[in-house]
Amino acid sequence: MNAPSTFESFLLFEGEKKITIEKDTKVPNAAIFTVNKEDHTLGNMICTQLWKDPQVLFAGYKNPHPLEHKFVIRIQTTSDYSPQEAFTNAITDLISEVSLLEERFKEAVREKQEVEGL
Amino acid sequence: MERIKDIRSRVVLQEHGLENVLSSDFPGTYKGFDDAWDHDKFKMNFRIDVVRLAGDELEFDMVGIDAAIANAFRRILLSEVPTMAIEKVFIYNNTSIIQDEVLAHRLGLIPIKADPRMFEYRQEGEAGLEGRETDTLEFQLKVKCTRNANTKEATDPDELYRDHKVTTKHLKWIPIGNQSQIFKEGDIRPVHDDILIAKLRPGQEIDIKIHCVKGIGKDHAKFSPVATASYRLLPEITLTRPIEGELAKKLQRCFSPGVIEIDSKNGKEYARVAHARRDTCSREVFRHDDLKDYVQLHKIRDHFIFSVESTGVLPPEVLVSEAIKVLKGKCRAFLHELKEVADM
Repeated sequence: MNAPSTFESFLLFEGEKKITIEKDTKVPNAAIFTVNKEDHTLGNMICTQLWKDPQVLFAGYKNPHPLEHKFVIRIQTTSDYSPQEAFTNAITDLISEVSLLEERFKEAVREKQEVEGL
Repeated sequence: MERIKDIRSRVVLQEHGLENVLSSDFPGTYKGFDDAWDHDKFKMNFRIDVVRLAGDELEFDMVGIDAAIANAFRRILLSEVPTMAIEKVFIYNNTSIIQDEVLAHRLGLIPIKADPRMFEYRQEGEAGLEGRETDTLEFQLKVKCTRNANTKEATDPDELYRDHKVTTKHLKWIPIGNQSQIFKEGDIRPVHDDILIAKLRPGQEIDIKIHCVKGIGKDHAKFSPVATASYRLLPEITLTRPIEGELAKKLQRCFSPGVIEIDSKNGKEYARVAHARRDTCSREVFRHDDLKDYVQLHKIRDHFIFSVESTGVLPPEVLVSEAIKVLKGKCRAFLHELKEVADM
């Protein structure tokens, strides 16, 4: 049978890199990041976070083909900033956001369980 | 200004279609608004309330967050939180009418109660078909149907035969290595013990060895830890003028039970929006010409009502915590990768 293995959607091939960067030669301060074995879950989240950055001029992502397990994200920034920095900052912000979410969720569950316990 | 605030924070439900569906609160979209990312601002506006936590079901409100993040959690809950499920079935004997491959598939979908955090992913080829104590759970299913000699004129199969229904109760956990010391009897078992696997008749038997492994929903839906994980936006219903009498009763009938309540004041009956949250957003009210101009329907864009229903493998609040951990892990790995790429 020629069906691709199911683990191809989340395990990197041998020698495959998680993230590769390609410079966009047509415009200054732009780069295309290819992220392997990830999908809309992270693609959309990172893209939306990049839009929150005033120094990012353009951010967009796509899944080139539904059978290829990767997404590409293109970032263009102002001249005193770089796409890599924007990407790193977006992810740092996301981590802080998710950490707060985790904290608040645990607190909310604990409160609920205490109330139910009474 | 008020109008812009509405566009930014509400989805409008109209008679034919929706308006302002996408979030637009990004820098550069509106003059006079500062939309740049600010952690302190986020910290102030963000809140989570657990509404219901009962058994396998959890409902909570997540307010002040973008849809992209809420959606990431939903997707991770569905397909990236690991669980244990039956992966390999060794059939020694199967004389029942259900075919080997169908039987194996049915077995695969049975939720197995075992804490996935105690196990590792099984690497192909390392231990051959045997599996190790750290990554595999073994079960045995050995059932033979016999005739019940004590019954004479019974017609009910339950009385005529013994063991004619093979259910998850017959699955017997066989500890490998030191598993019997780590787990107690009852820690490792199918979540429900009344799932019907096959039916037998006297003389037919099933003799099977089963391996359970850790996996994620992306690989196969049987690894998904939730029955459903979904979110909806909080509805908001505004009455633009007082609605009274028969019209109020009609308005009440347009919505789900409990959404509209009727108050009596000075001998007249007035409609009041009591629980907008219970509305299903059917928009029935817009089909009535005598009502549609007096009602506005909105959804609050950053108020997510999450509902998570676990299959019973882990409690739902643990599943959400696990999803948060998965997402955080991915972000950390990204930071690390980016650094490596930049150093090259």
